[in-house]
Amino acid sequence: MKTTEFTLDLQAYVDGELDASHRAEVERVLASDAEARALVEGLRQLSELVRTHEPLARVPESREFYWSQIQRRIAAAEVAEGREARPASGALNWLRWLAPALGVAAVAVFVVLPRPSAETTTLASNGPVEDAVSMTFRSDADGVTIHWIN
Amino acid sequence: MSLKSDYPSASDEQLVAWAKDGDTEAFEELIHRHRDKIYARAMIMMRNEGDAVDLSQEAWVKAWQRLRQFQGESSFATWMTRIVINLCLDQIRRQKRTRAESIEELEEESGGVERQMPVVENNPTEGLETEELRRRIDEAMGKLTDAHRTVLVLHEFDGLEYKEIAKRVGISIGTVMSRLFYARRRMATLLQSLKRERSE
Repeated sequence: MKTTEFTLDLQAYVDGELDASHRAEVERVLASDAEARALVEGLRQLSELVRTHEPLARVPESREFYWSQIQRRIAAAEVAEGREARPASGALNWLRWLAPALGVAAVAVFVVLPRPSAETTTLASNGPVEDAVSMTFRSDADGVTIHWIN
Repeated sequence: MSLKSDYPSASDEQLVAWAKDGDTEAFEELIHRHRDKIYARAMIMMRNEGDAVDLSQEAWVKAWQRLRQFQGESSFATWMTRIVINLCLDQIRRQKRTRAESIEELEEESGGVERQMPVVENNPTEGLETEELRRRIDEAMGKLTDAHRTVLVLHEFDGLEYKEIAKRVGISIGTVMSRLFYARRRMATLLQSLKRERSE
């Protein structure tokens, strides 16, 4: 029985992957080994058969429809690239991540610090994140301060 | 300046040059010329019409984005084929992560290649029309695992050397050799059974 290595050498010989000295070595064996010659011939035939009969297929869509889909994808990719490419400064990015922490800090300040004596105070402010709004309600009579952050 | 009537008669090189200047109609003509070949390659690799359409379209999108990088070292068709093959390889890798290797592949990895390849009898597909033969070969390729089919396609259809296949698939040259041998042996067996079916 042939070794794996020799079998693969025979295949490499068929595929033209051996250097000159290995090629000569394989050819010496082939001269006296009918089984090896049969294997080489089988590999050659199969390779030729497959190579010359590459399966064909047709796009199952019309020219116009196929192209329109590609156009849409190109446009979508360009929009996505534009979004990624839009400069976002480091400071703004930090603010985006810091927004929740800033909100909590603001709540703490309102709770801890003494408030003016007004019966109720309502505050609305725009935070660093565009849609973030906070509101505060304080009742001195009840000694209660409530904060909403949306 | 290009005229629309020039497109069908223009060479690929000319169309590429126009497309590089942003001429989408020239690019569309290139797609029209090569779309079946690119789709067919994706179809051979993926064995699934939906994936083949999706990946072939993605290949054209990538081609449009990278057109300026194409310097004509190879033909446009070869360059496109390389793009679609790479996308297919990426997709196969992603799919492979989510499913177990086939038993067939595991057997091959553990069994080596000592079992001899069945000798391909003289023209096992004798008498078949070319189209029928293509269909049968396609059918046989569909019975290979992704790993074996990929190596066979890259070697036989793209003409890549072992080391290039190893690099692109991310395996050793030894694995390329054993997978290629196994794929061929399986193809030979399938084609012989085809001949037997026909003679019965």
